[in-house]
Amino acid sequence: MVEFKLPDVGEGMHEGEIVKVLVRTGESVQQDQPLLEVQTDKVNAELSAPVTGIIRDIFIAEGEIVEVGTTLLVIDAGTEVEVKTETKHPEKVVNPDKTVHFTPARADHRRSLATPYVRQLAREMKLDIELVTGTGAAGRVTEEDLRQFANRLQKSAPAKFPTSATGNERLLEASTAAIETEPIVQSKTGTATRAATSSQGGIERLPLKGIRKKIAEHMVKSVTIIPHVTSVDELEMDQLRALRETLRPHAEKRNIKLTFLPFFIKALVIALKEFPTLNASIDERTNEILLKRFYHIGIATDTPEGLIVPVIKDADHKSIFQLAEEIDQLARLAREGKLTMEHITGGTFTISNVGPIGGLQATPIINHPEVAIISLHKMEKRWVVREDEGVIRWMMNLSLSFDHRLIDGVTAVRFTNRIKELLEDPNLLFAEMV
Amino acid sequence: MVVGEVAVETDVVVIGGGPGGYAAAIRLGQLGKSVVLIEKEVLGGVCLNRGCIPSKALIHTAGEYHKLNRLNKLGIQLPTGKATFHMPSWQTWKSSVVAQLNKGIDYLCQANGVTVVKGTATFLSSDRIGVETGGDFETYKCKQAIIATGSRPFIPSFLKTDGEYILDSTDMLALDDVPETLAIIGGGYIGMELGMAFAKLGSQVTIIEASERILPQTAAHLSQEVLKQAKQLGMTVKIATKVEKAEVANGRVTLVCTSEKNGSESITAHKTLVTIGRVPNTGELGLAQAGVEMDERGYIPVTSTGSTNKAHIYAIGDVTPGPALAHRAAKQGIVAAEVIAGLPSSVDSPFVPYVIFTEPQIAGVGMTRDEAELQGYKVKAATFPYRANGRALAIDEGEGFAEVIVDQESHLLLGMHIVGADASNLIGEGVLALELAARVEDVALTMHPHPTLSEVWLEAAEAVLGHAIHIVNKSK
Ligand SMILES: Cc1cc2nc3c(=O)[nH]c(=O)nc-3n(C[C@H](O)[C@H](O)[C@H](O)COP(=O)(O)OP(=O)(O)OC[C@H]3O[C@@H](n4cnc5c(N)ncnc54)[C@H](O)[C@@H]3O)c2cc1C
Repeated sequence: MVEFKLPDVGEGMHEGEIVKVLVRTGESVQQDQPLLEVQTDKVNAELSAPVTGIIRDIFIAEGEIVEVGTTLLVIDAGTEVEVKTETKHPEKVVNPDKTVHFTPARADHRRSLATPYVRQLAREMKLDIELVTGTGAAGRVTEEDLRQFANRLQKSAPAKFPTSATGNERLLEASTAAIETEPIVQSKTGTATRAATSSQGGIERLPLKGIRKKIAEHMVKSVTIIPHVTSVDELEMDQLRALRETLRPHAEKRNIKLTFLPFFIKALVIALKEFPTLNASIDERTNEILLKRFYHIGIATDTPEGLIVPVIKDADHKSIFQLAEEIDQLARLAREGKLTMEHITGGTFTISNVGPIGGLQATPIINHPEVAIISLHKMEKRWVVREDEGVIRWMMNLSLSFDHRLIDGVTAVRFTNRIKELLEDPNLLFAEMV
Repeated sequence: MVVGEVAVETDVVVIGGGPGGYAAAIRLGQLGKSVVLIEKEVLGGVCLNRGCIPSKALIHTAGEYHKLNRLNKLGIQLPTGKATFHMPSWQTWKSSVVAQLNKGIDYLCQANGVTVVKGTATFLSSDRIGVETGGDFETYKCKQAIIATGSRPFIPSFLKTDGEYILDSTDMLALDDVPETLAIIGGGYIGMELGMAFAKLGSQVTIIEASERILPQTAAHLSQEVLKQAKQLGMTVKIATKVEKAEVANGRVTLVCTSEKNGSESITAHKTLVTIGRVPNTGELGLAQAGVEMDERGYIPVTSTGSTNKAHIYAIGDVTPGPALAHRAAKQGIVAAEVIAGLPSSVDSPFVPYVIFTEPQIAGVGMTRDEAELQGYKVKAATFPYRANGRALAIDEGEGFAEVIVDQESHLLLGMHIVGADASNLIGEGVLALELAARVEDVALTMHPHPTLSEVWLEAAEAVLGHAIHIVNKSK
């Protein structure tokens, strides 16, 4: 039997992520045949079989992070062979840049595998078991997995955002805030912890619950995973205002309330088609980029319950008037609390329109797993310089937050430039009409 | 409301002493909460007093009685003359069983410091509950409340039960004699269970079911086995048939039914049992005063912790949407109690097993084949018949089969279903296997004792893998 351990494939690395397991138990392998792909912060390396034999046991699963020296699998070489590890071509980089896969978004969300006891333990530890990678048979989440997950969370809590994407971010997904602050009163499985804190004078304690709690969780997850960068630009809105004034009576005839938002959506969709990485998501589990060839635009809507994001499906197939109608309808449902799951899921990009309320610029938080978000701010008359003369124009700021793992600053600015171009001269929207 | 009323203060009030309510109250007691359990009738609820226990007592009796006819085949000669059944004696025995269990619950409540109050509860506000106790009115003030008032039979207005000719399941289980002819409206599990029991005790039974088959909640190939047996017991089963009218005259009930196949027809019987569903007991609870929301059918929607839209008011059991089953009620009750006591509990399992005490019994957990396919699984499934199991033949129970459904890719168990003798006990293995996220190999590689019925699981699991020993495996 040969125990195959994770070697140090880079200089002084301590851990690597198992990106791919290329063999199964029971399979026979030739010496030098590739067994696994690991990724470290420096390289992606292929590990190959040190001996010819049969794979007896595989102890790791794809997506798992393992330390150097951990036994990954056992090969039965027929005779007792000295335990040794070996790597072929540790310097061979399989996948140096990120490959872009044209895979549609997958919806396979199966319940993770775990025994009832482990589930209970996860609840006690305030961990979302669905986020934990199982190392047990067939990917079952074990007690040990939970502890390791919790350890990593604790370690990463004070850390800054990672600058490069390794897929480890999913480990940060659970709400670290919750772990830090929420007291665990009593335990069912015997792992007793902190006691409840008492309330203090002058401070009202309200439970964080319902939609607010969901928003809180989602936001924490978003900022924890995504390295946000925000860029701000300003648009001249005079032409668009004029166009809207021309179209408004026509809309009214059809009982449609025409706001600026449908125009923004139109321009956005055109730009998204030209900059596909902005209409994408990252599958942290498989480390794939999913470019979406459909344009479902979420519109962040203020409701009495909090922020909700109904989604306009296939915005690229809808006319300005159709968009206006749908926005109106969705906003109404949102305010009445009548949105269904169908209405609020499946978005590929989000617009937050805070303009009507005010504000100059912001750092909108990306609606994970999307990779960018735009917020539109107050439209106001400002002094601007045109052809060396100070003039008054209707101006509006636009803030774009983007996921720096996937999108570079240059791309982001080009993207907003394109939107700017389309909105400052809305005639161009016609040129792009399909 | 009485001005200046004196309210008794307690941590938690539990309304309703059925399997949900009493389990919650006992657990709260264990966790050191002060608890008042309010029950307007007797502890144990529908399950103990009018449902699971009495019906299974009857079904068991009917089974024993029916078996007498088959003993001849086994070489047992009974004295000449026919065995007879005396229902009043059965009632006495049943009452003693129920009474013993009632006492047990009462004792457990006491031992855990639960105060049991007899009376009808209504919410006066979100933290005050009024109780009418035979002329008196008491008020309880609580930090949390659990609603566990259960359900009652649904009886449409044109079928008014009268306790004598047109009966609900409660009346049926209180009868003092076996009706000569019995019509049952509704071929769901309660109708089929009671119908088969009475058929075994000698009634001429006609089942009238509106949908296309009996036991419409289970997979068709499972209910098929029950239909076969129903016919052998001499029962008449009318499917896709609707009852339009019921009339009582000359000591008989006449039901006017219509079906596409037979047009209009009438069925006359000495008694008619109506079992076409149940409705939650939420109407008279003053939920509006408490601010607790119901859905349009009167059920109280809850989260996985049992919490209603009012965070400190919980609802469990038959008053919540979902299958009306005693074990679900008990689980929800325990979870609600633990959540109230600050434990991080949750009803988070999709595995709610079901058992049906028909002839043969049906039981299952997890997805049926169709459900799994609908969920997008590539399914592998196999069945193993009772007639290939030694123990089944040795106890003269060769009808039925066990079915195992797995995900083709991972071999994870998705569902286990069984129809046949003792299915109700055998499903325990399935529930545990699914909860432990077992693969089909886990069952196949587990040594099962021989000769037992439990080996049907072993062999069905092996059959999925293509190597069952006692049947010819289908080539793949
Ligand atoms: C014939 C029959 C057979 C059944 N067989 C099975 C079976 O085999 N397996 C199974 O799992 N389930 C079976 N059930 C279903 C099972 O009985 C119920 O699912 C279970 O009893 C529900 O429990 P519960 O605690 O929600 O409510 P219940 O058992 O309905 O208890 C509610 C209690 O609340 C009391 N109550 C109501 N309103 C008030 C009020 N305002 N104040 C005070 N008290 C109040 C009632 O008197 C009652 O005691 C059967 C049901 C019937 C009718």
